[in-house]
Amino acid sequence: MNFSSKLLEEAVQAFASLPGIGRKTALRLVLHLIQREPQHTERFVQSLLRMRQGVRSCTVCYNLADSELCQVCIDPRRDRSLVCVVESIRDVMAIEDTHQYRGLYHVLGGVISPIEGIGPEQLHIEGLIQRVAQGEIQEVIMAVSPTIEGDTTIFYLSKKLREYPVRLTTIARGVSFGGELEYADELTLGRSIVARVPYQTDATSL
Amino acid sequence: MYLQRLVLTNFKNYDWQSLELSPGLNCFTGLNGMGKTNLLDAIYFLCIGKSRSALTDAQLCRHGTDFFRLEGWFQTDDKLVQIVAKVQQGKRKILENNNLQYANLSEHLGLFPVVFIGPDDTQMLTEGSEERRKFIDNTLSQTDPTYLRCLMTYQKVLLQRNTALKQFAERGAFDAGLIQALDAQLAPVGRYIHQKRKVFAIELEALVSLIYRHLANNEEERVQSRYCSSLQDTAFEDLLARNLDKDRLLQRTTAGIHRDDLELSIRSLPVKRFASQGQLKSLLLALKLAQYRYLENQKGLQPVLLLDDLFDKLDAPRVARLFQYLQSGSFGQVCITDTDAARLEKIVQNLAVPLYHYQVQNGSAQLQNSTL
Repeated sequence: MNFSSKLLEEAVQAFASLPGIGRKTALRLVLHLIQREPQHTERFVQSLLRMRQGVRSCTVCYNLADSELCQVCIDPRRDRSLVCVVESIRDVMAIEDTHQYRGLYHVLGGVISPIEGIGPEQLHIEGLIQRVAQGEIQEVIMAVSPTIEGDTTIFYLSKKLREYPVRLTTIARGVSFGGELEYADELTLGRSIVARVPYQTDATSL
Repeated sequence: MYLQRLVLTNFKNYDWQSLELSPGLNCFTGLNGMGKTNLLDAIYFLCIGKSRSALTDAQLCRHGTDFFRLEGWFQTDDKLVQIVAKVQQGKRKILENNNLQYANLSEHLGLFPVVFIGPDDTQMLTEGSEERRKFIDNTLSQTDPTYLRCLMTYQKVLLQRNTALKQFAERGAFDAGLIQALDAQLAPVGRYIHQKRKVFAIELEALVSLIYRHLANNEEERVQSRYCSSLQDTAFEDLLARNLDKDRLLQRTTAGIHRDDLELSIRSLPVKRFASQGQLKSLLLALKLAQYRYLENQKGLQPVLLLDDLFDKLDAPRVARLFQYLQSGSFGQVCITDTDAARLEKIVQNLAVPLYHYQVQNGSAQLQNSTL
C-alpha cells in the first residue's frame, strides 16, 4: 500500500502491530479516526494511556486491578471460602461470563513446564499457599487446562497444600454441552464414562 | 484388508504415479536408486501416518517442490476406504479418511496394520536397545491406542523431568515437590507400558521360536527373547525415588521403561555378540513375521507386508524357505522389491497368488506382467 502521508502510514503500522489486525483493517481504523472529530482520537488515546499506566496486578489474586485489590477481591458479596485457581486472566473472564461462580480467584500466570523455562518459582504459587494458610479458604478449585503440564501443576499444588485443611477439587472433564457423543474423542468419552455422575434434574445441571 | 490403488504426487522421486495393486503379491523391480523403496515407503506412510525413513515430512517432497500428496484406496471387508496424506512445507501434515480430516494423527494408527522388512533392519539386533524398543512400540501402538497415548505422555513428562534436573543443576537449586509431581505422572503410564510390553514379549517369544525354526531349518537352534526392565522387581515410584540422587548427578532420568531392552539369544548365546550373519538374517525375518502374526491375531485382519530388497542379502536357501513359509501360512497383501527381475520372477512364478509385476525406472512404474 502506498500512502500520501508518512503520519498516516505510521498510524496504520501501529494498529497493524496488534494481534488479529491486518494492514487493511488497520487502514480502515485509521481512516475512521481521521473522519471523526480530533477530540474523539484524544479521548481514545487518553483511555489507552490511563489504562496502561494505571492497571496493575491485584496483590492478592494477581487478577488485573485499578488499585491494590481487584474488583473481585473487594466485592463483599463474594464467597471468601472458595478459591478458583486458573492459569491466566482470560480464564477468570471466561469463568465470570458463566455467572455460575461467586467465589474468589487465584491467577497462576501459567503452568509448570521446565521445557518452556517455567518452574514453580515463576508462577504465583507462594501467594496461593499464603492465602490458604490464613485459614479462611475451605475449598480450592483447580480450573487448569486438562493437559500434561496442567496435571503437573495440579499435582504440585496438591502436594504443597496437603498440610492445610482445605478441600481440593478439579473442574469436571467430559463431553461438552450440545456435543454429540459420536463426535466426542475417545479419550474424553472414555473418561466421561469412568467419571460418570449421579443423575440429577435441578436447574444447575441444565 | 489390502491396498487396491496408490497415487503419488511429488513424493520422493515420483512426479505423479498411479498404481493398481494386487491383493496378493506385488513385485517392484529395477536398478538401485530408481524408486522401488519409495513406493513401499509411500504405502507405509499411508498405513502409519509417517515415513519409515529418518527424513522429515518436508524432505519427502520431490526435489524442487514444496508439497507432496499420497492417496491410497484400501479395500476392507465391506467397504472401500480412501486415505489421503498431504504435506506442505510450513504447514501441518493432513491425513484424511474418506475426506474427513483426522483431528489427531494417532487416531489413524492401527486401522491398516503394516509390517516392513528392510535390508538394514538387522541393526535392530546388533545395535543399542532403542531400536528394539521402537520395534515393540511400533507393534503395540498399532494394536492398543491406550499404549500409544501412554507412550506419548511418558515421553513428554520424561523430557520435562530431564529438563528440570538440568535446570536444578545449573541453578544449584532443587525442588523435590516438582520432581514428585512429575514422578506421580510418570508412574501410572510407565506401569501400563511395562505391563503391556511384558505380556507382548511372552507372546513374541513363542511366535519367534516357531517361525525361526521354520526359516533356519534347524531344530536345535532355540531362540529366546527375554524382556529386561528395571520395573521387573521394583515399583516404578520406588525406583524413581531410589535413583533420584544419581539422576540429579547425571541430570537425566536413569531408570524407567525408556531403558527397557529385549535380549535375544540363540542356543542361549546373546545374539548381539555371537550370532552369525545368517542367524541374524533369519532371526530378523522371524521377528518381523512374528510381528505380522501378532498384529494379525490382535486386529483380526492381515497386515500389509512390505519386503524391501531382501534377496541381495539373503542366500538362496533362506529365500526359498521364506517363500515356503509365506506360502504355507496365510498371508494377505505382500509387496516385494528386487534389483533382479529375472530372479524374482523365478522365485514367484510357482506361487498360486494373484500377482502384479512393475518395472520401476527413474520415478515411474510400468506394469510388466499380471496374473490377475
